[in-house]
Amino acid sequence: MHLSLEDLLAARDGEATTEAAAHADSCPECTAEIARLRAVQRALAALPEQRPPQDLWPALRIALASRRHHRRWVLAGRTAAGLAAAFTLVIGVRGGLEAWHEAKIARQTRELVAASQRLEHQLRTADSGGRVVSGRIAGTIVQLEDRIAAIDAKLSRPRAERYPSQDVVSLWQERVRLLDALVSVQTTRTTYVGL
Amino acid sequence: MTGVDELLLARAKTGNEAALETLFRQFEAPVYTLARRLTRTPHDAEDLLQETFLEVVRSIGGFRGEGSFAGWIRKVTASKALMRLRKHGSRVREEELSEELADAVAAHRGHGVAPIATTPERLDLEAALARLPHTARAVTWLHDVEGYSHDEIAAMVGKTASFSKSQLARAHARLREMLAPASEETCT
Repeated sequence: MHLSLEDLLAARDGEATTEAAAHADSCPECTAEIARLRAVQRALAALPEQRPPQDLWPALRIALASRRHHRRWVLAGRTAAGLAAAFTLVIGVRGGLEAWHEAKIARQTRELVAASQRLEHQLRTADSGGRVVSGRIAGTIVQLEDRIAAIDAKLSRPRAERYPSQDVVSLWQERVRLLDALVSVQTTRTTYVGL
Repeated sequence: MTGVDELLLARAKTGNEAALETLFRQFEAPVYTLARRLTRTPHDAEDLLQETFLEVVRSIGGFRGEGSFAGWIRKVTASKALMRLRKHGSRVREEELSEELADAVAAHRGHGVAPIATTPERLDLEAALARLPHTARAVTWLHDVEGYSHDEIAAMVGKTASFSKSQLARAHARLREMLAPASEETCT
């Protein structure tokens, strides 16, 4: 009876039980299998590096800048304007079911952008103006802002601005959800926002 | 990953954009590579790279130089990846359920297991790795390459060390099937 794979892996890692180690020492097949597992481990570590298919720095730079500039959500307005223009153009040159679907996505997006802008306005109104907040609340705010910045980075990618899609709608939905949570934190000063 | 120049780090801590870009350029490939091993799709890996770097910029002031900067970034990446894994756990579970039974059988029977009949032709390691169920691949990479212990992985994914061990064994059982030459005889 040979060792199970879990026992062989434990033996490879020097963590085998006394019995398993004794079996491995006396069984050439298990010894060979442990050597093979070591070889796979070495081969995994030696796999070549990969590079992202597109340059992500421009989007990240925007996200970082947007965070630095007091989280003013300037990107949302620009992205919304770009999306609205792109959708209008696309709908203008296509017809039929495809255009209907795109019009639906454009309408959803416009509604979400409007909701997003309303929430941003609320945030500006409720801005703490430098008032001290607790560490936990500050942590929650930063977390939410990071996630919004990450979404803004995705929305600013060329394909998100150029092509209407369900993915873009989902991003705006998530953005609205996070902004709503941020408004809750700012206005009620609670760290629990159900995320 | 390589070490980082102290001056570059100091500039990055002040929010200097050029320094941040240099850091990003230095780490984008290794972080993306790690992200590809720990996420389901290239798109997820891009998101993880962005999230990781946003976190790095936010927390860089707290990096005190205990351990390497490269190691710290890898930890941030792994931690964010596993957070995603926890978040999407149920969806992943559903998708992997069909593969689980075959894997479990293979893992428990040890290296004497016969290849499953549907095994495709021999694959290279990169392709075989990509075909592993998501959780098993992430656990394997973290344990076998990044050097995390089963206890550490268990704590990060909110499971037990036994779960981590069984995922590793399943992954190796599948890798063995996929990498074994078609003519290979199984020992008995």
